[in-house]
Amino acid sequence: MRHFLLLSLLMTLLFGYKEGDTIDPQLQKHLGLQDDKVYIIDFFASWCSSCEKEIPLISKANQQIDKAHVEIIGIDVDKSAKKANAFQESLRKDGLLDFRVINDPMNLIIGKFEPIGMPALYYVKDGKVLAVIYGAIDDIDKQILKDLESL
Amino acid sequence: MRTTLTLLIAASALFFGGCVKEVKPWEKETLAKDTMKEGGPNTLLKSYEEHTFTSKEASKGGGGVAGGGCGCN
Repeated sequence: MRHFLLLSLLMTLLFGYKEGDTIDPQLQKHLGLQDDKVYIIDFFASWCSSCEKEIPLISKANQQIDKAHVEIIGIDVDKSAKKANAFQESLRKDGLLDFRVINDPMNLIIGKFEPIGMPALYYVKDGKVLAVIYGAIDDIDKQILKDLESL
Repeated sequence: MRTTLTLLIAASALFFGGCVKEVKPWEKETLAKDTMKEGGPNTLLKSYEEHTFTSKEASKGGGGVAGGGCGCN
Protein backbone atom coordinates (compact mmCIF):
# COMPACT_ATOMS: atom_id res chain seq x y z
CA MET A 1 0.00 0.00 0.00
CA ARG A 2 2.83 2.37 0.99
CA HIS A 3 4.66 1.60 -2.28
CA PHE A 4 1.49 2.24 -4.24
CA LEU A 5 1.04 5.65 -2.58
CA LEU A 6 4.68 6.55 -3.21
CA LEU A 7 4.36 5.48 -6.84
CA SER A 8 1.17 7.55 -7.27
CA LEU A 9 2.94 10.60 -5.80
CA LEU A 10 5.94 10.03 -8.06
CA MET A 11 3.69 9.72 -11.13
CA THR A 12 2.01 13.01 -10.20
CA LEU A 13 5.39 14.69 -9.90
CA LEU A 14 6.73 13.17 -13.11
CA PHE A 15 3.97 14.31 -15.43
CA GLY A 16 3.04 17.86 -16.32
CA TYR A 17 5.19 20.97 -16.13
CA LYS A 18 6.87 21.84 -12.87
CA GLU A 19 9.58 24.29 -11.79
CA GLY A 20 12.55 24.23 -14.17
CA ASP A 21 10.74 22.47 -17.02
CA THR A 22 10.77 23.88 -20.55
CA ILE A 23 7.42 24.32 -22.26
CA ASP A 24 6.98 22.61 -25.60
CA PRO A 25 8.00 25.14 -28.35
CA GLN A 26 4.75 24.55 -30.25
CA LEU A 27 2.74 25.34 -27.12
CA GLN A 28 4.89 28.44 -26.52
CA LYS A 29 3.98 29.59 -30.02
CA HIS A 30 0.29 28.85 -29.43
CA LEU A 31 0.35 30.87 -26.20
CA GLY A 32 2.25 33.69 -27.95
CA LEU A 33 5.22 33.60 -25.55
CA GLN A 34 8.27 35.73 -26.32
CA ASP A 35 11.73 35.18 -24.89
CA ASP A 36 12.26 38.58 -23.28
CA LYS A 37 9.15 38.63 -21.10
CA VAL A 38 7.95 37.05 -17.86
CA TYR A 39 4.54 35.43 -18.32
CA ILE A 40 2.07 34.61 -15.60
CA ILE A 41 -0.27 31.90 -16.83
CA ASP A 42 -3.46 31.53 -14.80
CA PHE A 43 -5.68 28.49 -15.28
CA PHE A 44 -9.31 29.03 -14.32
CA ALA A 45 -12.87 27.93 -15.08
CA SER A 46 -16.32 29.42 -14.57
CA TRP A 47 -17.31 26.61 -12.19
CA CYS A 48 -14.27 27.12 -9.96
CA SER A 49 -15.37 29.55 -7.24
CA SER A 50 -11.83 30.05 -5.92
CA CYS A 51 -10.67 31.00 -9.43
CA GLU A 52 -13.53 33.48 -9.67
CA LYS A 53 -12.39 35.10 -6.42
CA GLU A 54 -8.79 35.31 -7.64
CA ILE A 55 -9.41 36.80 -11.11
CA PRO A 56 -10.27 40.35 -9.86
CA LEU A 57 -7.14 40.29 -7.66
CA ILE A 58 -4.96 39.12 -10.55
CA SER A 59 -6.45 41.92 -12.66
CA LYS A 60 -5.58 44.34 -9.85
CA ALA A 61 -1.98 43.10 -9.96
CA ASN A 62 -2.06 43.44 -13.76
CA GLN A 63 -2.65 47.17 -13.37
CA GLN A 64 0.49 47.53 -11.28
CA ILE A 65 2.95 45.44 -13.29
CA ASP A 66 5.38 46.66 -15.92
CA LYS A 67 3.58 45.47 -19.04
CA ALA A 68 6.69 45.85 -21.20
CA HIS A 69 8.33 43.04 -19.27
CA VAL A 70 5.47 41.06 -17.75
CA GLU A 71 2.22 39.73 -19.20
CA ILE A 72 -0.61 37.84 -17.54
CA ILE A 73 -2.40 35.25 -19.68
CA GLY A 74 -5.57 33.50 -18.55
CA ILE A 75 -6.46 30.03 -19.73
CA ASP A 76 -10.18 29.28 -19.42
CA VAL A 77 -10.58 25.49 -19.26
CA ASP A 78 -14.38 25.43 -19.54
CA LYS A 79 -15.44 22.68 -21.93
CA SER A 80 -18.11 24.96 -23.37
CA ALA A 81 -16.65 27.95 -25.22
CA LYS A 82 -20.04 29.66 -24.98
CA LYS A 83 -20.03 29.33 -21.18
CA ALA A 84 -16.40 30.49 -21.05
CA ASN A 85 -17.08 33.57 -23.16
CA ALA A 86 -20.18 34.48 -21.13
CA PHE A 87 -18.19 34.12 -17.87
CA GLN A 88 -15.33 36.29 -19.16
CA GLU A 89 -17.73 38.83 -20.61
CA SER A 90 -19.55 39.22 -17.27
CA LEU A 91 -16.23 39.81 -15.50
CA ARG A 92 -14.93 42.21 -18.16
CA LYS A 93 -18.18 44.18 -18.02
CA ASP A 94 -17.64 44.80 -14.30
CA GLY A 95 -13.97 45.62 -14.83
CA LEU A 96 -12.86 42.51 -12.95
CA LEU A 97 -10.93 40.91 -15.80
CA ASP A 98 -8.38 42.90 -17.77
CA PHE A 99 -5.89 40.42 -19.16
CA ARG A 100 -5.69 38.30 -22.29
CA VAL A 101 -7.57 34.99 -22.08
CA ILE A 102 -7.23 31.91 -24.25
CA ASN A 103 -10.09 29.40 -24.25
CA ASP A 104 -9.05 25.78 -23.85
CA PRO A 105 -12.30 23.83 -24.39
CA MET A 106 -10.49 20.66 -25.44
CA ASN A 107 -8.20 20.96 -22.37
CA LEU A 108 -5.13 20.56 -24.59
CA ILE A 109 -3.16 23.33 -22.87
CA ILE A 110 -3.98 22.35 -19.29
CA GLY A 111 -3.44 18.72 -20.30
CA LYS A 112 0.22 19.59 -20.93
CA PHE A 113 0.67 21.59 -17.73
CA GLU A 114 -1.30 19.11 -15.58
CA PRO A 115 -1.63 21.19 -12.41
CA ILE A 116 -2.48 19.23 -9.26
CA GLY A 117 -5.20 21.71 -8.31
CA MET A 118 -7.10 24.76 -9.47
CA PRO A 119 -6.61 27.70 -9.69
CA ALA A 120 -3.04 27.23 -10.88
CA LEU A 121 -0.58 30.03 -11.61
CA TYR A 122 2.63 29.47 -13.58
CA TYR A 123 5.50 31.96 -13.86
CA VAL A 124 7.25 31.44 -17.19
CA LYS A 125 10.34 33.11 -18.69
CA ASP A 126 12.29 32.11 -21.81
CA GLY A 127 9.92 29.16 -22.16
CA LYS A 128 10.91 27.85 -18.73
CA VAL A 129 8.63 27.40 -15.73
CA LEU A 130 10.12 29.50 -12.91
CA ALA A 131 7.53 28.87 -10.21
CA VAL A 132 4.05 27.43 -9.71
CA ILE A 133 1.27 28.33 -7.28
CA TYR A 134 -1.51 25.78 -6.80
CA GLY A 135 -4.78 26.62 -5.11
CA ALA A 136 -6.31 29.90 -4.04
CA ILE A 137 -4.37 32.51 -2.07
CA ASP A 138 -6.20 35.34 -0.28
CA ASP A 139 -3.80 38.11 -1.35
CA ILE A 140 -2.72 36.74 -4.71
CA ASP A 141 -2.23 40.29 -6.08
CA LYS A 142 0.35 41.07 -3.39
CA GLN A 143 1.91 37.63 -3.84
CA ILE A 144 2.33 38.20 -7.60
CA LEU A 145 4.01 41.57 -7.07
CA LYS A 146 6.28 40.07 -4.40
CA ASP A 147 7.16 37.11 -6.62
CA LEU A 148 7.93 39.36 -9.59
CA GLU A 149 10.39 41.32 -7.47
CA SER A 150 12.30 38.17 -6.59
CA LEU A 151 12.31 36.69 -10.11
CA MET B 1 -1.27 -22.89 -7.41
CA ARG B 2 0.44 -19.72 -6.19
CA THR B 3 1.58 -18.79 -9.71
CA THR B 4 -1.94 -19.33 -11.07
CA LEU B 5 -3.37 -17.13 -8.33
CA THR B 6 -0.79 -14.38 -9.00
CA LEU B 7 -1.52 -14.54 -12.74
CA LEU B 8 -5.26 -14.43 -12.06
CA ILE B 9 -4.87 -11.35 -9.82
CA ALA B 10 -2.59 -9.65 -12.40
CA ALA B 11 -5.04 -10.44 -15.23
CA SER B 12 -7.99 -9.13 -13.17
CA ALA B 13 -6.07 -5.97 -12.30
CA LEU B 14 -5.27 -5.39 -15.97
CA PHE B 15 -8.85 -6.13 -17.03
CA PHE B 16 -10.57 -3.97 -14.43
CA GLY B 17 -7.83 -1.32 -14.48
CA GLY B 18 -9.37 -0.01 -17.69
CA CYS B 19 -12.49 0.99 -15.74
CA VAL B 20 -10.56 3.33 -13.47
CA LYS B 21 -9.93 6.86 -14.66
CA GLU B 22 -8.61 9.56 -12.41
CA VAL B 23 -10.65 12.77 -12.40
CA LYS B 24 -8.22 15.60 -13.06
CA PRO B 25 -8.62 18.93 -11.22
CA TRP B 26 -9.80 20.62 -14.44
CA GLU B 27 -12.46 17.95 -15.03
CA LYS B 28 -14.39 18.62 -11.83
CA GLU B 29 -17.12 20.81 -13.32
CA THR B 30 -19.88 18.35 -12.49
CA LEU B 31 -18.47 17.70 -9.02
CA ALA B 32 -18.45 21.45 -8.33
CA LYS B 33 -22.21 21.76 -8.90
CA ASP B 34 -24.44 22.56 -5.93
CA THR B 35 -26.41 19.38 -6.51
CA MET B 36 -23.25 17.35 -5.84
CA LYS B 37 -22.77 18.91 -2.42
CA GLU B 38 -24.05 17.52 0.86
CA GLY B 39 -27.71 18.54 1.20
CA GLY B 40 -27.83 19.66 -2.43
CA PRO B 41 -28.60 23.23 -3.45
CA ASN B 42 -30.87 23.71 -0.42
CA THR B 43 -28.75 25.42 2.26
CA LEU B 44 -31.42 24.88 4.94
CA LEU B 45 -31.41 21.14 4.31
CA LYS B 46 -27.61 21.17 4.31
CA SER B 47 -27.42 22.84 7.73
CA TYR B 48 -30.12 20.46 9.07
CA GLU B 49 -28.16 17.43 7.85
CA GLU B 50 -24.92 18.82 9.24
CA HIS B 51 -26.58 19.42 12.62
CA THR B 52 -27.93 15.85 12.72
CA PHE B 53 -24.53 14.44 11.73
CA THR B 54 -22.71 16.52 14.36
CA SER B 55 -25.15 15.42 17.10
CA LYS B 56 -25.06 11.74 16.17
CA GLU B 57 -21.39 11.32 15.35
CA ALA B 58 -19.85 13.93 17.68
CA SER B 59 -17.68 15.04 14.77
CA LYS B 60 -17.82 17.80 12.25
CA GLY B 61 -16.66 18.62 8.71
CA GLY B 62 -15.38 16.55 5.85
CA GLY B 63 -18.61 16.86 3.91
CA GLY B 64 -17.42 19.18 1.19
CA VAL B 65 -14.73 19.76 -1.37
CA ALA B 66 -12.26 22.56 -0.64
CA GLY B 67 -12.46 25.67 -2.76
CA GLY B 68 -15.90 25.18 -4.21
CA GLY B 69 -15.29 21.71 -5.53
CA CYS B 70 -12.42 22.56 -7.80
CA GLY B 71 -9.86 20.53 -5.84
CA CYS B 72 -7.97 23.54 -4.56
CA ASN B 73 -5.74 23.60 -1.49
